[in-house]
Amino acid sequence: MKALIVGFGFIGRALIGAFHEKSDVIRRIDEDFRVIGVSNSKGYAYDEKGLGLEKLLGIGELSKYSKGWHAEGSSIELLEESGCDLMIEATPTSMIDGEPGLTFIRHALSRGVHVVTPNKGPLVVAFKELSLLAEKNHCEFLYEGTVCGAVPIFSLVRECLQGDKVLRISGILNGTTNYILSRMYFEGTSFQLALKEAQERGITERDPSYDVDGIDAACKVLILANALMKRDARFDDIEKVGIRGVTQEAISLARKSNFAIKLIGTIDRSLEVAPKLVPINHPLCVHGTLNAIHLQTDLAKEITLVGYGAGKETVSAVLNDVLTVLNKTNCQ
Amino acid sequence: MRFDLTLALADRPGHLVKALEPIAKNGGNIISIIHEREKPAEGYVPVFLVVDFPSKHHLRMTISDLKGLGVTIIKSEEIHETTRVPVILIGRMDLKRLVETKVENVRITSFEVSAPTSEEACVKLDLEVPVDSVDRVLDELKRLSKEENAILISPV
Repeated sequence: MKALIVGFGFIGRALIGAFHEKSDVIRRIDEDFRVIGVSNSKGYAYDEKGLGLEKLLGIGELSKYSKGWHAEGSSIELLEESGCDLMIEATPTSMIDGEPGLTFIRHALSRGVHVVTPNKGPLVVAFKELSLLAEKNHCEFLYEGTVCGAVPIFSLVRECLQGDKVLRISGILNGTTNYILSRMYFEGTSFQLALKEAQERGITERDPSYDVDGIDAACKVLILANALMKRDARFDDIEKVGIRGVTQEAISLARKSNFAIKLIGTIDRSLEVAPKLVPINHPLCVHGTLNAIHLQTDLAKEITLVGYGAGKETVSAVLNDVLTVLNKTNCQ
Repeated sequence: MRFDLTLALADRPGHLVKALEPIAKNGGNIISIIHEREKPAEGYVPVFLVVDFPSKHHLRMTISDLKGLGVTIIKSEEIHETTRVPVILIGRMDLKRLVETKVENVRITSFEVSAPTSEEACVKLDLEVPVDSVDRVLDELKRLSKEENAILISPV
């Protein structure tokens, strides 16, 4: 299989590292797997025989990949001319219009190219359209990395809960707010100080309001609702209350009664992101930057997954999606 | 549906059995019965029953039959299975209005206000709510907190 990576940022580079490190795992499924192109906003590197992964890992700028570098070449051009089978889309996220990822994904799926992405934006804007496009063109469209990073929620439901109906989902879907609320709970710090600490550690979005006002968590609620519960919901359907107003007094009052306050996304009668009281012995009561998702289904009843929701761990989800595509296409 | 029934029976042999017949006839399932024969008052003994009936209509039929037998009904009340619902409210809200807001069958069992170090007040309430009314009660509290521009923190 011939793969393209669109986006040479944090995830793009981490994925190339994972392809290199796990090459034996990949080759056991597909001996001929190769990355034939990598693009960013400045151009693309292309080699029909496969780009050198070590070489890619050794360069800071993609333009330094001298052999096969096409300055100002576009990702669409690369997609159209390379004859690739799989596109891994890892460009920066835009929750407003899903671009530029949405255009790349649309284009790939329309041409029958399988797509793997950890990019939330396109799914927030056009989940139904992209899913139908994938179905129509008989290609895989996998997005495990979009919700809770390394936590395999979509794979779990797709592979292990095929006969179950998901009735309710609730969870800590944003690691930054969990970090802030955990600092307030354990250290007694104020919201402002905990937010500053999170920014210093580099774990907030560029605009922290995406985290603290519940926007990031709401995007994940939307993707989960549409993908796992077939809701056909829109972003505006979600009631959002962030954690800016959560005071140290509220945290202390909760703590005295053996509760912690967590920002919880819920898909139930309605779609909601809001601070909630979580009993300290509840499976969702995890701390630090951890994420957790609690599923209620008709047969399995209750299942909770806990793990890291952002950062380099996300590459685990993207790699697993790529291996899933390889396995599925090998079986056909 | 579960009901609390208290009857006053004449302290004479056979009256208890006679009083139980209409309950069985109307589909009642007796969960518990306490017959306090040691405490007769003016020739009557109290009998405390907890009974499951298929509906309120079945209870009404039973009461009518019992009255027809001359049995005095001291109490007949539906028993609501309740659950504890803790909530925290943050904001500059009217606490009096909050406490005086009556939601059917809801009881505030404890009320705690934090010593505020900020301008926002913070109140924790423990509510006793009928199990089947939890969603309705939380919706009502959400509406109220929006009106008061307060943040509602409800259980997960």
